Amino acid sequence: MLKRLLFADFPVLDDPQACRFYPVEIDLERCDGCKLCTMVCPAATLELAGEKGAKKVRLIADGYGCISCNNCYAICKQQAIKARRHYKMTGFYNTEGLGKFSPPRKSFKAEPFCEA
Amino acid sequence: MGAAMAKQSAQLQMPEDQELPEEEAGRDAEIVEIADGADWNVVERAFLTRRSIRKFKKKQVPEHLVHRMLEVGRFAPSQGNCQPYKFVVIREPELLAGMEEYCVSECRRLSGAIDYTAYPEGSLKRIATKSAARLFNSLDPNMMHPIPLTATRAIAAGRFMVFHRAPTVIVILMDNHGIGVPAIDIGIVGTNIIMAAHSYGLGTCWIGFSKLLNRSPQWRERLGVTERFEVSEAICLGYPVGKPAESEIERATHEIAWFENGEKKILG
Repeated sequence: MLKRLLFADFPVLDDPQACRFYPVEIDLERCDGCKLCTMVCPAATLELAGEKGAKKVRLIADGYGCISCNNCYAICKQQAIKARRHYKMTGFYNTEGLGKFSPPRKSFKAEPFCEA
Repeated sequence: MGAAMAKQSAQLQMPEDQELPEEEAGRDAEIVEIADGADWNVVERAFLTRRSIRKFKKKQVPEHLVHRMLEVGRFAPSQGNCQPYKFVVIREPELLAGMEEYCVSECRRLSGAIDYTAYPEGSLKRIATKSAARLFNSLDPNMMHPIPLTATRAIAAGRFMVFHRAPTVIVILMDNHGIGVPAIDIGIVGTNIIMAAHSYGLGTCWIGFSKLLNRSPQWRERLGVTERFEVSEAICLGYPVGKPAESEIERATHEIAWFENGEKKILG
């Protein structure tokens, strides 16, 4: 217990090596600045920026916290934003058994599992 | 007593092989064949288009729909059919505002004590808050995952809300005297409720931060949480802004170990 208290691998939130939040991909040409994604983001990591009348979405300055949920993608009418990888942490929070991103598959081709 | 024993011994004397010939066994049960690659059916599509909704219209949810989804919840499976839950439906703006205020203040307190990212590397405050975070982390690692930590920060900073100004909130109280692992039954009953809500075009979001209400004896009393119960989860409910349920999204695949024909395959 004491050992765990003192030496446990503890991922430091603002260390990008310990807490890897993969930023969402934003297609600025498609983004029409409608703001819906900034409203639905569960981690409040998105904001609008730019000149009046031509605002586009971007990640906030300390953009860690994206939970790769694709809520932004689901609500975007322009398909301008997308998460492509699950977040990953070190230590106790390291994940196992999570693979690549995929849309729902109606037909399943036997593919060997590979860790993302 | 006698009848029960007779029944029991009758069961014991049942022949080992109870299998009926196939045509007899299936005489009133039709098997529906579903072709590989067939379109998603109504139920599947409902699950695939469900999103967590955090932005609601002001329009209140009709009362009868709330009752209707709770009825669907009533028929959820639970361990030993023990149904270890009660519901609290809150549609009073003042009460919701009070709950929001309380949870935000708790997040601020927590964040003040453990958010080391607020201070520069090497500063005394950073060292102190990081040690506190490390301690909490060792004691309760699941709750101290970096994701809830960022959410706590965002709520404390006013960038994020707890109940998202939903017009209706359903709080699920868990009976700690339930069978097995009551928290699982809460997840199942909640899933029934949110899928019913989704089918009416309503948006929902699970609110784990509602557990903070357990810390306050005043809030426990106001919501009628008696000793053996606890606030387990809450479900925000309302009409969603935008059209979040139109498209399918991508999620991570999961490892599947598949045993068949004397072989083991690891599929993804």
